[in-house]
Amino acid sequence: MGLLSIIRKIKRKEKEMRILMVGLDNSGKTTIVLKINGEDTSVISPTLGFNIKTITYQKYMLNIWDVGGQKTIRSYWRNYFEQTDGLVWVVDSSDLRRLNDCKAELDNLLKEERLSGASLLILANKQDIKGALAPDEIAKVLNLEAMEKSRHWKIVGCSAYTGEGLLEGFDWLVQDVASRIYVLD
Amino acid sequence: MDEKKTASNAGETEALDDALQKKHLSMLERLSNRHQNRLDNALTRRSESESSSSPSFESTSSFFSRFSDSKRSIESQLAVSRTASSDPTQLKSHFEKISASISDLEKLVAENSYFLPSYDVRASLKTVSDLKQSLENLNSELIPKKKFSFRNKANKKESIAQEVKEPSPLNCSSVISDKTSFAVRESPGLRNRKGEVLMEDFRGKEVGEFTISDLDCCEVRIIGCLRALFVHRLKNCKVYVGPVLGSILIEEVEGCIFVMASHQIRIHTAKKSDFYLRVRSRPIIEDSSGVRFAPYHLTYEGIEEDLRGASLDEETENWANVDDFKWLRAIQSPNWSILPENERVRITNTSTLDNIE
Ligand SMILES: Nc1nc2c(ncn2[C@@H]2O[C@H](COP(=O)(O)OP(=O)(O)OP(=O)(O)O)[C@@H](O)[C@H]2O)c(=O)[nH]1
Ligand SMILES: [Mg+2]
Repeated sequence: MGLLSIIRKIKRKEKEMRILMVGLDNSGKTTIVLKINGEDTSVISPTLGFNIKTITYQKYMLNIWDVGGQKTIRSYWRNYFEQTDGLVWVVDSSDLRRLNDCKAELDNLLKEERLSGASLLILANKQDIKGALAPDEIAKVLNLEAMEKSRHWKIVGCSAYTGEGLLEGFDWLVQDVASRIYVLD
Repeated sequence: MDEKKTASNAGETEALDDALQKKHLSMLERLSNRHQNRLDNALTRRSESESSSSPSFESTSSFFSRFSDSKRSIESQLAVSRTASSDPTQLKSHFEKISASISDLEKLVAENSYFLPSYDVRASLKTVSDLKQSLENLNSELIPKKKFSFRNKANKKESIAQEVKEPSPLNCSSVISDKTSFAVRESPGLRNRKGEVLMEDFRGKEVGEFTISDLDCCEVRIIGCLRALFVHRLKNCKVYVGPVLGSILIEEVEGCIFVMASHQIRIHTAKKSDFYLRVRSRPIIEDSSGVRFAPYHLTYEGIEEDLRGASLDEETENWANVDDFKWLRAIQSPNWSILPENERVRITNTSTLDNIE
């Protein structure tokens, strides 16, 4: 009886995943979360703090933390690192000028010990905009190939406007996190 | 508790091995059901807030009484830590309890951040962050050897914060050519001009992102719609633009006048500039000073249709709802103000060049 209840507890926890969405301001984090959740995306203000959404995705409960990316509040990101299973880094693929900034912030983030176990999904967002860089170009600029071998990562092109690519990205992330959790079993 | 509150797609659980196409279909379905979903959500939220022990309050004052109650109780828990116990195991569980309460408090802020005034969200976040810091300090002082859940030390924090570099002055084409082999691409735009009148007519064209940068004493007139607009390093310029369907990002401008309509507007490091805006969401400023705001007014042949097409035909009054990310307090930020009516420039018609004053 005691053992059974412990097993149940573990199982239930496995079904929950904590996902942290970060990236520069204006990259489209909030739009992506609302789009996935089937909510209206027509009026979104820049995020002053953070939002939490819990979304049922496949058989999992995703706890998605969407944190504002304005420079002033990037120092708050660290408050959300604890227990993150999946990290989503969102890039505005049409903002060529700030790719430098984007790379520097991502590099910083990946140094975080508390995030070292998290699967990393990079969303090259705004692919619907003419002139946006393709995912492989973004991968080169961010120098993703140089990432530590132990990190599970993937880059996917997407558009929060059309919804294209979002499911492919989140499918990978959820599968990858799930497979790691089962390995621990 | 929060999962029930915000989950809106429960019952639409998809099988693991569904074909991608099937998922796309179901997403489209979800999108068309979104109003129902939101309605359901609102109902769930309401009924839960009546019964649950950690309700989502729909009013600022009830949120605050709850917030300050838990804050006080966490503070008193923290205060007794030194005398609570000398047994490390007991002390550890004492700290874990406090840690859990702080997490709850954080969740409370998150759940209410949708309706709280912006400075309240920021102030509450700061409180939570300070509580975590105090807990962490006490923990490392009283249980020096044990690692705890808030692992980063205060001094480490400092050094990481300093490592976050200012964006380097390199422009994008140099970044790309430095690190990659593919052809350098520059987004369409107006760059490096001095003392000119620059006009672009995009009526009837599909324009993606557009960049206006490094201009000195220029007047820019953009007619027609854009998807996204980037404005960078402008001095003493006048910029008139038609509706922008996505967002506008403005950085490092001084002594300028902007007349623009967009779904989102972010203004960074602006000095002494006037903004005549129509925005669907709240415009934000960061690291700016002496910026003033007024409602949008612009005409050119066909602007009504363009505005309608971009869902920007209605005045939202958001031009006056500016959020200053550098200002945490409830009183008005000193960095921005409303442009007095008698100082506003008259309606500008950008269809014809002879209108330049
Ligand atoms: N064209 C296009 N625009 C997008 C896309 N995704 C987001 N946007 C627009 O980009 C702007 C920024 O989107 P947000 O979701 O507010 O960005 P964010 O990353 O949450 O920004 P912060 O909260 O400031 O960190 C909005 O005007 C969106 O409409 C996309 O895929 N395509
Ligand atoms: Mg946001």
